Amino acid sequence: MNKDFSKPQRQSAAGIIVMATHTFLKIVKASFFIFVLAFIKMPLHQIFYVLAGVALLLVISFFFAYLWYLKFTFFLDKEKQEFVVNKGIFNRDQVIIQLDKIQQVNINQSILQKIIGVYGLKIDTAGAHGEEVSIRAIDETSAYNLKSHLLHKKVTIENQPEAETAAQITEETPFLKISSWTLFKVGLTSNYGQSLALLAAFFYTVIYEGRQLLDSLKIDKNTIESTVTGMLTIVTAFILIGVLLLVLLVINMVRTFYKYFELQISQHKDTLLLSSGLIAKKNTLVNPAKVQITKYSQNYFQKKLNLLNVSLKQAHFGESKKGHEMQGNTMEIPGCNTPERDELLRMILAKLPESNKTFIPDWRFLNLPIFFKLVLPVAIFIIIAINVPEIKPFISAAAIYLIAGVVMIYISYKKHCISISEEFVVKKSGIWDISHEIITPAKIQAITTFQYPWHKGVDVGHLCLHTAAGQIRFKYGNYTEIKEMVNYWLYQVEHHNKNWM
Amino acid sequence: MPTETFTNEVIDISSLPKYEEIALQHPHSDYWKIICINLSVFLGFIGIGAVILLFFINEIRTHAFLITTIYVTLAVILFLLFRASFKKRGYAIRTHDVIYKSGIIAESTTIVPLNRIQHIELNEGILSRVFHLGSLQIFTAGGQTGHIHISGIPIETAKNIRDLLLKKLDLTENQTTDPTAS
Repeated sequence: MNKDFSKPQRQSAAGIIVMATHTFLKIVKASFFIFVLAFIKMPLHQIFYVLAGVALLLVISFFFAYLWYLKFTFFLDKEKQEFVVNKGIFNRDQVIIQLDKIQQVNINQSILQKIIGVYGLKIDTAGAHGEEVSIRAIDETSAYNLKSHLLHKKVTIENQPEAETAAQITEETPFLKISSWTLFKVGLTSNYGQSLALLAAFFYTVIYEGRQLLDSLKIDKNTIESTVTGMLTIVTAFILIGVLLLVLLVINMVRTFYKYFELQISQHKDTLLLSSGLIAKKNTLVNPAKVQITKYSQNYFQKKLNLLNVSLKQAHFGESKKGHEMQGNTMEIPGCNTPERDELLRMILAKLPESNKTFIPDWRFLNLPIFFKLVLPVAIFIIIAINVPEIKPFISAAAIYLIAGVVMIYISYKKHCISISEEFVVKKSGIWDISHEIITPAKIQAITTFQYPWHKGVDVGHLCLHTAAGQIRFKYGNYTEIKEMVNYWLYQVEHHNKNWM
Repeated sequence: MPTETFTNEVIDISSLPKYEEIALQHPHSDYWKIICINLSVFLGFIGIGAVILLFFINEIRTHAFLITTIYVTLAVILFLLFRASFKKRGYAIRTHDVIYKSGIIAESTTIVPLNRIQHIELNEGILSRVFHLGSLQIFTAGGQTGHIHISGIPIETAKNIRDLLLKKLDLTENQTTDPTAS
């Protein structure tokens, strides 16, 4: 195989299998319940037809995968510094990526790819979204070679033998390693919200599909529903909640382990190499200069355990005209302790941010959320409760809601602050998970300040710093100070002319 | 950057140029006419719809007075809101950034440094062409929220601004690539 990728080349032939399986699994996933139904409903002697159908699907998948393999070629245009991919079975697509627009290159390996012994390679660009290239099958040395080619802009001047570069990546000693015990603690203390959403989505699909299954099997729904409601006494309800919480924790744990198992970070030349994953190992190369927002967060439990979650947000914006905003693509590093976080920050920001001047919001910060999130809904609830006798006994719940709400809003007010030094802007916020977002003024793309007319007299206003990875907002600050800071940032951005990427 | 000319003096923040004290340019007065025409067309369509409904459905006819009052108040409020927003809009081009101020209730000012501009668009609608106006859109990497849309600039001025910004863009691009090349 030619090693400098200057000629158009196909991927590894094993890609046919990977692609075929991918297509096949997609089809099966989409029609899973039809299959289940078919198996249950059909008389036994007709099952042959089902199997024949499956076989046909497999053949078609392989046929398309073969065509796709034939048409998929990629090469590196050294003169123009572009990576070109030709693809498309029926239509001819050409994707051209300028090398300096490449954000990151990921090398992954799924179970199947592991069995066949190939790797998947994905290229993320800063430009249009959805244009990212994914090569599904490439052998290990080529993958790492291609990666280093893509990430080193001057490919031609590279004197090092390629084999050595590939070896170097694997030999690099990691400066940060997350142990299983730490991951266990992380799993216990974070991401409840996400796991809850996952659980809810899971239950929703189970109930929805189950209902459809019952409908089609003509089982009497009422009998099942009555037995279910009959089981629901208060005791069982408590047990159920306990079980749910346990399931939540377990899911959390599994997710954390699946994603971050053996997470380690090593420095390779001027980029950071992150690798993690339980079954599918994921390697990500990040260029510290391209990290837009560095964020670390910690909740109460994690503070006691000396754990921190660090996330690095990179630019990922689509054509803003297309109407959908891109979420920053974020790299999470859970479970650092304080020295490790400092090390990481030093790696990315060159030095630790020291807080010079801290600005805190005005007490008017409390007004709007208290009114819209507490007073208004509680008032509506009470009015309804007075008129509807069924809800009346629950009227005391409003008081609990009110107290909890006031406490939460007050905490969010107390934690909301922005500290500014010559080289950094650090914004602190949060209620349970207290997060610190750090940017350097060079990452600022645009600044918006705004003020309500009734705050003119008291000199209160808001600030929003737009970066390529999202916004940093500071609300209800002293407007004179904000304006002063804006002028200073503008001076910094416009005077130094530093690259933001 | 050569090191011998590099100095790092303490900056007096209060002596920096103040964005909030810049005299802003307002949209051309013809732009108000365009807003009015657009609004009238919009209200006209709603009005025609309402009349048709009133004409064909008997049950609604008893509420004719109510509907007319709602319609008229809606029209008045819309015109007042757009007038207020028109009055509040303003823009300025400085040597190093573009400033745009807008807002009906909250007054918001967005500033885009010239070296952060990704691309620029100059749009002319049918109506705008009649009045020789254009609208400039300035995009940054900050996504939807970090972009500026200035409407109602006389077309000649708009073109001049665009050329000026593009020239600056090329300039800053060369500046930033130079040190890496050498």
